Amino acid sequence: MVNPMSLAKVGNPSTRHAYWQAALGDTELASWLANFTPTHLYVGSEFCEHLLPGLRAWEKAIAHAQAVHCRVCLLTPIASPQLIRDLGELLPSLPDGSEVIVNDWGAAHFVRERFPALHLIAGRLLCRMMKDPRLGQASQAVTFRFDPRPLRAMFARLSIRRMEIDVPLSTDAGTFSTLPLPTGVHVPFACVAKGRMCRIGSSSIRGSERFAVGRKCRKECLKVSAQLERPGFRDTREVYQVGNSIISKHSATMLDAVRSAVEQGFISRIVVPGEAI
Amino acid sequence: MKIVAPIASVEEAEALVRAGAREFYCGFVPDEWIGRFRAVNANRRPSGNLRDHAELRRAVDVAHRHGGSISLVLNAQSYTDEQIAATITLADTFLQIGGDSLIVSDLGLVGELFQHVPLSRIHVSSVATCRNSSAARLCKELGASRMILPRDVTVGEACEIAAEVPGIEIEAFILNDGCVFEEGACATLHLPQNLGGPICLDNHPPHYRRRSGGKLDGPALDRLRDNDEEYRKWLWYRFSCGFTTNAAGMPFGPCGLCALPILLRGGIAAVKIAGREAPTARKLASVRMVKAVLDRAEAGEDDEHIMQFAQALRPSEQHCRTGYMCYYPEVLGH
Repeated sequence: MVNPMSLAKVGNPSTRHAYWQAALGDTELASWLANFTPTHLYVGSEFCEHLLPGLRAWEKAIAHAQAVHCRVCLLTPIASPQLIRDLGELLPSLPDGSEVIVNDWGAAHFVRERFPALHLIAGRLLCRMMKDPRLGQASQAVTFRFDPRPLRAMFARLSIRRMEIDVPLSTDAGTFSTLPLPTGVHVPFACVAKGRMCRIGSSSIRGSERFAVGRKCRKECLKVSAQLERPGFRDTREVYQVGNSIISKHSATMLDAVRSAVEQGFISRIVVPGEAI
Repeated sequence: MKIVAPIASVEEAEALVRAGAREFYCGFVPDEWIGRFRAVNANRRPSGNLRDHAELRRAVDVAHRHGGSISLVLNAQSYTDEQIAATITLADTFLQIGGDSLIVSDLGLVGELFQHVPLSRIHVSSVATCRNSSAARLCKELGASRMILPRDVTVGEACEIAAEVPGIEIEAFILNDGCVFEEGACATLHLPQNLGGPICLDNHPPHYRRRSGGKLDGPALDRLRDNDEEYRKWLWYRFSCGFTTNAAGMPFGPCGLCALPILLRGGIAAVKIAGREAPTARKLASVRMVKAVLDRAEAGEDDEHIMQFAQALRPSEQHCRTGYMCYYPEVLGH
């Protein structure tokens, strides 16, 4: 969920730090991100079918991306039949070679079959790993080690060129060095759980279909989010509810591992939310 | 239409056969798996699994003796390379002793399994989160014989997928055990209760705020708190009405019985009763409920009478009116 207008602010190196500070509220991370020039503008949503841009919004995004010398990429969520139809309307307007981030095997199949000139990226919902922020970093995570290698066959079958991941709970020097495709890593938030049912999106619905899936939405999530805290627990990770998803902020250790992997060339893209969550 | 029921023991298979079930699914986590990987994530359930080969063989025998079939669940959200090798051994063992199909959640694992087991014996799990026709086409291309829809679909979407992609069976949820988040997009553990339990039931009071900064005004906050109160009611229904049953053991909670006639006409091949870890009595009552409603639908009884019958079974009319207990609440308005 990125407002394309906001990206223009990041194009000026002198304002990058302030921009990331305002968006993320993390001085150290903002300082690090200020070293990088944005290269891609992500438009759409990985998490919600209601946030696929319409044609007009998409065309605006392309114009803004061009103005700030970025390439535009389309984010797509787990897909309902209607979302696949909507993609069928939208994708013809993407220039050949545009990147489409897919979080649904069906959407990947659809794009490969119908729009083979577009470049597919496996989104972070396809690259599954344990991300429960309530778990200690070392103990339980050992038994849920992230290993994307089994996905190689599907990536090849669907001509997927890149992958995107969150930061695994148990991250060490080897985590990013054995990834099967060029990889983008999301910072500073991981998607912990995503529903199709949306709590805040149901606030304007009454009757038996409240909290049901596939209903109309007023996009309350674009304006309001919630911080989640567990009374009585000493949780160290920040946790938020944004729309239909629970997200958590990476720990300092996890972010250190990302920085190190970037320096070593194991991560080729950092994906950062362009607006405050 | 087949009724797909969970079993956790041979005795359950015998009992459920007598209640009318002919298709079963089970987990199988041998001690070697737990010892090697220090985890029970062969199939996302710490309990409710068959634990040795003899028991597995007997469960297969029971299903076949009564003209039924049995599937092995391999539905961890993902597997490591090492776990895939061990999982292929599990799958191979199951098929060697006569098991019928494998319920597989990880498409990476599907890609590997196809090199080792017959193509037609894969059911793509609901945890794969395949819920559109393109996904069904992909599963069919991979050789799967069935795609199990996740809970988060409408009855119209289910029927649309079944109609658009012939040649692969579509299975839909019909009874028990809801999830708040999409199962395949939930990267959490069901922790022990003293550590918080499932994250969707964990006590996380939301502190609402404007994303652009600043506080929410009173009316906006009031509206969100009202919504939270209603959400907590919905959550109670989603978690099987506090895991309650009626005096006869019929479970309250997520239910799609009123949608059965539409699913049947829409070409849905099978309906799934969830709850591998549930008590036998709950599974038995669930099979009887689904069979009673399905018999009427297959006999051509009209939808309205079937809905009345389904809602009077427990009875549950008051719960049903809320829509919160429904997998497919849209059918209430039909």
